[in-house]
Amino acid sequence: MKPSTHKINRTNTPSRSLENKMKGIQIAVIMALGVLAAGCSNVERSRDLNNASVSPAVTAVQVCSNCHGVDGNPKSPNFPRLAGQQEDYVVTQLKNFRNHNRSDPEGFEYMWGLSRNLTDEQIAGLAKYYAKQIPRHHEEVLDPQLVANGKEIYEKGVPEQNVIACISCHGDKAQGIGAFPRLGHQHADYIEKQLDVFQNTQGRPGTAMEFVVHPLTGPNKQAVAAYLQSFPE
Amino acid sequence: MNSTMFDRLRVNFLGLLILGVSLLTSFSAQALPAFARQTGQNCVACHAGGQFPELTPYGRLFKLTGYTMGSRAIPVSAMAVASVTKNANSSLAGPKDGLPVLGTGSVFLAGKITDNVGIFAQGTFNSYGGDSGYQTTWGSDNFDLRFADRFIDANSDLIFGFSLNNNPTVSDVWNSAPAWIIYAPTMFGTSGPDSGPVVNGLGAQVAGLTAYAMWDQFLYAEVGAYKTANGAFSFLSQGTNDAGQTKLAGSNPYVRLAVTHEWGPHNIMIGVFGLDVGIHADPLDLTSPVTKFRDRGVDAQYQYLLDPHTVSAQFSYVRETTGNGIASGYSTNDSNTLNSLRIKGTYIYQAKYGASLSYFSTTGTTDSGLYSGISATNSPDTQGWTPEIFYTPIQNIRIGLQYYAYQKFDGASTSYNGTNNAKDNNNAFLYVWGAY
Repeated sequence: MKPSTHKINRTNTPSRSLENKMKGIQIAVIMALGVLAAGCSNVERSRDLNNASVSPAVTAVQVCSNCHGVDGNPKSPNFPRLAGQQEDYVVTQLKNFRNHNRSDPEGFEYMWGLSRNLTDEQIAGLAKYYAKQIPRHHEEVLDPQLVANGKEIYEKGVPEQNVIACISCHGDKAQGIGAFPRLGHQHADYIEKQLDVFQNTQGRPGTAMEFVVHPLTGPNKQAVAAYLQSFPE
Repeated sequence: MNSTMFDRLRVNFLGLLILGVSLLTSFSAQALPAFARQTGQNCVACHAGGQFPELTPYGRLFKLTGYTMGSRAIPVSAMAVASVTKNANSSLAGPKDGLPVLGTGSVFLAGKITDNVGIFAQGTFNSYGGDSGYQTTWGSDNFDLRFADRFIDANSDLIFGFSLNNNPTVSDVWNSAPAWIIYAPTMFGTSGPDSGPVVNGLGAQVAGLTAYAMWDQFLYAEVGAYKTANGAFSFLSQGTNDAGQTKLAGSNPYVRLAVTHEWGPHNIMIGVFGLDVGIHADPLDLTSPVTKFRDRGVDAQYQYLLDPHTVSAQFSYVRETTGNGIASGYSTNDSNTLNSLRIKGTYIYQAKYGASLSYFSTTGTTDSGLYSGISATNSPDTQGWTPEIFYTPIQNIRIGLQYYAYQKFDGASTSYNGTNNAKDNNNAFLYVWGAY
């Protein structure tokens, strides 16, 4: 962008002798520095996502933490909490991003590119890293009635609407098991948006959730999401 | 805006749409600029609501860590702006008033070089540059070569680095910094008011080295020094001839401090900066007297980012004091002050449909020498509003309409130069912006 005009005394006699003489030297110096620098690698603190020698723990703190937090408990509800997440689930999701089998908008916009060159070993290591982190309780207090309704749905389902209880797959502490993800302490906004993805799109194919979520109403989705965010410690 | 202006805009909008569609067709094959190719991510990851150049918290970390995140990719991008500008008063209009023009085109060298070094370098082709005598058609634009490292674990996070750049505040990561708060793209082929703080006018004239640190994503500090971009650094001021270049006296200090906080989908920053520069009265005589400029700024930014909504607001106030104006022949008063205020608010829905409103106000001491021939009241005072609406059909094409409405221009609302009123400078700016 062009700098804005500022009233500074100027004359208009073109002269650029020194610049032209220096130009060739500068280009040579910059190219030489570039070649030298290209050989440098710093795997202990690298943000390179196409280097199999960068350890998953380094990638987790140097790259993934930008959105998901160092401990897997991000502040922004734009990004899911990964602290204490099931290893199998994280491995499956990262591979689904890498293979483009998961195409919900945020997954596509953020994760396809980041996961594209990760090795299976790096994916396994990242899953281990997050499984070891401790999920933190949310400080935000949500509407108690909404949370109570969500608890009811989570534990008992809504039999008259053919909504099965979430607890049957996701566990009594919403901790998940294997391919079934931990939901406890997840951001309510993330839960609601993912329920919409399962219900209204083909963005996350091949899971039971496509059928399970089918009869859930909007208020029920909101309630169960509020309960999961407010999950007790 | 009168009905004739709307008629002309309507006719030319068709031309711009055709251009836009052809841009779409050529870009959609590989529709991601260099940084997006490096991270493989969509523009919305780094730009708030997909709106260039405002950065999200994630985009700020990408820049602070030296553009080094991701996989090395071809580090070349291109950008072009086609536009129509229509002035309210034809006597103040540029030669292409009301006609579609390919205003600016840029090429970028941008991306990761090593694990610690990255670059954002822009060269811009400026169709009107030759007319002003300020730049030739091709010139250096924003340049930011960085070295960065990050020490992060469960208990602390320290990002630090160095930036070699050619514009004070271009290294900044908030959109309230002087280099970034201006509209991008902005009105083209028409003259804006003459006065602004020096921090706004040093781009592609100077070379600076700054050192910066971000501690725990809370406290940001940057210190640096700027000198004239000549000699070994003349690649940072290409397109500006020796006589047209602002010549700084020696090294000139720059300091920036900011605190930032994120909670839920909200984040906020409050910061200050200071820049002291001395500028030679005669760019061709480096023994000529020096005018002293002292800029002090306070700025703030707020963002709410939660799909499908993006809300952002910026505030910037810069107070400039000049000195030694009599000896340097810069002004009649030995010392003057100039105050520049900008406030901007933006809303974007689904990273597609956006609107913004900006207020700008410049006030300052009167000076019969400094503003002679510009202002009948010898005053720099300018005040006005810029509303904008824009549409982003795909992430690297934006179509927008801005309107510049002046309440005061170069010192007065009416007859500011003895002939024209402030509102005669009002103009509508319709653009198609594309990047590849």
